[in-house]
Amino acid sequence: MELIINLLINGLATGMLIFLLAAGLTLIFGLMDVLNFAHGGLFAWGAFSGVWFYGLTNSFTIAIIGAILTGAVLGFITEKIIIKPVYGNHIQQILITLGFMIVLSEMLKVVFGPNQIAAKTPPLLSGSWEIGDVIIIKYRLFIIVVGFLVFGVFQFILKRTKIGLIVRAGVMNKEMVQALGINIKQVFLYVFMVGAALAALGGALMAPYSGVVYAEMGMEFAILAFIVVVIGGMGSFPGSLLAAILVGLAGSFMAYYVPALSLAVNMMLMAIVLIFRPQGLFTAKG
Amino acid sequence: MMSILLKVENVQTHIGQYHILQGVSFEAKEGQVSVLLGRNGAGKTTTLKTIMGLTPATSGTIHFQDKEITKQATHHIASSGIGYVPEDQGIFGALTVEENLKVAMRKEDDAALARQEYVLELFPDLKKYWKKDGGHLSGGQKQMLSMARAFINDSKLLLIDEPSKGLAPVVIEKVMEAIVEMKKQTTIILVEQNFIMASRIGDTYTLIDDGETVRSGQMSELVQNEELKRQYLGIG
Amino acid sequence: MKNKFQVNNAILLVLVAALAVFPFVSDSRTWTILLTQIFIFSILAMSYDLLLGYTGIVSFGHAMFFGMGAYATAIMLNRLEPTLSVFFLSIAVGMVIAGVISFLIGLLTLRLKSHFFAMLTLAVSGLFLVLAEKWRTLTHGNDGFTFRAPEFFKDRMMFYLLVLACLVLVYFFLRRFVHSPLGRVLIAVRENEQRTKSLGFQTLHYKVIASVVAGVVASLAGSLYAISLRFVNTSVLTMDITLDALLMTIIGGVGTLIGPIIGAGVIELAQHYLSGLAKEHPIFERWIIFFGIIYILAVIFFPKGILGTIQYAFWKQKNKIPKVDVAAPSRKELTK
Ligand SMILES: Nc1ncnc2c1ncn2[C@@H]1O[C@H](COP(=O)(O)OP(=O)(O)O)[C@@H](O)[C@H]1O
Ligand SMILES: [Mg+2]
Repeated sequence: MELIINLLINGLATGMLIFLLAAGLTLIFGLMDVLNFAHGGLFAWGAFSGVWFYGLTNSFTIAIIGAILTGAVLGFITEKIIIKPVYGNHIQQILITLGFMIVLSEMLKVVFGPNQIAAKTPPLLSGSWEIGDVIIIKYRLFIIVVGFLVFGVFQFILKRTKIGLIVRAGVMNKEMVQALGINIKQVFLYVFMVGAALAALGGALMAPYSGVVYAEMGMEFAILAFIVVVIGGMGSFPGSLLAAILVGLAGSFMAYYVPALSLAVNMMLMAIVLIFRPQGLFTAKG
Repeated sequence: MMSILLKVENVQTHIGQYHILQGVSFEAKEGQVSVLLGRNGAGKTTTLKTIMGLTPATSGTIHFQDKEITKQATHHIASSGIGYVPEDQGIFGALTVEENLKVAMRKEDDAALARQEYVLELFPDLKKYWKKDGGHLSGGQKQMLSMARAFINDSKLLLIDEPSKGLAPVVIEKVMEAIVEMKKQTTIILVEQNFIMASRIGDTYTLIDDGETVRSGQMSELVQNEELKRQYLGIG
Repeated sequence: MKNKFQVNNAILLVLVAALAVFPFVSDSRTWTILLTQIFIFSILAMSYDLLLGYTGIVSFGHAMFFGMGAYATAIMLNRLEPTLSVFFLSIAVGMVIAGVISFLIGLLTLRLKSHFFAMLTLAVSGLFLVLAEKWRTLTHGNDGFTFRAPEFFKDRMMFYLLVLACLVLVYFFLRRFVHSPLGRVLIAVRENEQRTKSLGFQTLHYKVIASVVAGVVASLAGSLYAISLRFVNTSVLTMDITLDALLMTIIGGVGTLIGPIIGAGVIELAQHYLSGLAKEHPIFERWIIFFGIIYILAVIFFPKGILGTIQYAFWKQKNKIPKVDVAAPSRKELTK
């Protein structure tokens, strides 16, 4: 029983980190029809800058805020320089965002050095609670709480605010949104920045969880996020949460019971969904 | 003296490598309903899209309220006071009726709310299905929602593309009544294949064929010109 | 036109002849090895160009075919005996496996839209990487294994000549292929798939054929690569290999076949010199960053690459065409 609970918590925590990455990816895709292969690079930058800010200030709160700001700034640069020239051309988008991914990861090595860096868990969140036989690691619970919190806040924004309505309308019909007098390019930029900031937040939270940060973590997690976005349905925010939890749980249970297949299972899941239901299990277009 | 609200002069439009509009010219006078007529595929929808900047003109000029809008971005054109009701209505299917209107409302001031009251009186169905998803409305209700959405921003000009398409006769009647009602407050450019309806509510007509304007004039004149109707509209 | 073709062929022939005698006049081992490497990656990059440049498909999984060839050759030479006949058999085996797998994957996935296809190929090649890492009895995972190459290749020169011959053969084969009626359909698919479909072509079939040919050629490159190192590990299946092919193709010039060869030369040489420089200036350890940036600039400003841009400049000068493209035909003209 305690094993199951532990695996559940592990899976949920990983799922939440993937969700933070996938949330931006899915919104950017749904709204702008851009698949950002550089998204994992933003995640890795969040992780490194979080560790850096934490080392500098010794405050985890500042580290998180710093990582989010780093993500937003990088998102701004990415949209303006990399994405904007190639709106509407899928092949160029794929090529250029992948190229930017290389640059982002290599820049990490230039700025922070080529080796992996250890990441500390803040004292307040270290350790665990024991409830009977069940040991709950505080930091994992913290990640889960943050994940649900982010989901709640964004769900509120998307459902209840004007800008949220505009984003949802844009996912369904961009032309019409413009014809109603809304500058969709501006909205694209905001959404891109927010997506990048979420990815960076995911990275910053990931760092103490895995204990180390390294440049390749971006691509590793990005592949999981792609899987999630495909399974959840491109453009569907709740879909990406459910799919992320699914992928996280599948990963954690498989890693325990059939370790050889843990990554393979998720990829096969994606392949099956893509082949038989390419619009994803959930769909945002109404 | 009625002033000219919109003036389209010798507009050409390319979509990709296709030369779709090859010289469209006409004008819409304030307070009137100007009807664009022509066969399927003549370029009526493209004309409206070009006015909105969705398929920008490659040459020619478009003036609205004496300002040139030819090269402006779509959202600027819309904000300067042109409302668009596309052929497929462009309803946001997963948003409710209320949300569809809210997205459109650029300023939520008293005047806008008053206009909202007005359109809801015009289309009582919308009030009835206030919380229903746009995607679940009937064809006629979608049409009404789309018109309400275009009207809600104090639009000086409405572009309405084939509002009667695919609707039952009773519903068409309602939609046409609403257009007549809206005409009291705004200018309208209407694309309408149903010639009986078009001739009933139109003040002027412009005939488009193969991407070019063939002729414009008073609707009353076209009604009597059997030759023109046969040649370009296949009726009579 | 015919004349120009002959001139081009003559130039090529001279170049090939020069390269063929090179190891006999120069005794630089480094250069022989470096050129061998360039030829191998040229073959890989050309196979990638068939997809990207001629058919307009972006695959992130090309490394899996390269890896299949590398493993087929390494495992067979290791398990059977290091002879030439086993070597040639292993090339054939690698090609057949790559052909079958690319056929199956293509059939299932090439109907997807471009980004889904890119993602799926990323995932599938990831699966093969995981498979190679876990199936240690066969592959020794990430540690890899060394093996003995056939006696014949003891002389580096022989191998050099073999690889050069492969490069020339593959080049002429692919050139024939892209200039065949089938190749013209592929180009039509790249320009406008929808339109090609509406002209009555089963575009999926053509795309599958292109991906099978590309996969088979990539497998050949992998086989040669394994021999050149006499060692194989899972790195032959990683994204890095695909990225190399992508960079070489884009920087050299998509849709030209010669471009990828130039790209392979530029990148391999730069890698060689820059990693030498890195010993003095550590910043050059990150040499790939320069290529990342050049690549991005190329995608935005020179989507034709080095060769394509030069060709275009020449062509423009000769034809003195105005800067704007000729106006598209009107609808009336088209329907006439
Ligand atoms: N996106 C497009 N690409 C290519 N051709 C188009 C496109 N949109 C419209 N057309 C063509 O332009 C012509 C005019 O279309 P449209 O303006 O929709 O005509 P109408 O509204 O008068 O029926 C048609 O022949 C149509 O096929
Ligand atoms: Mg139309």
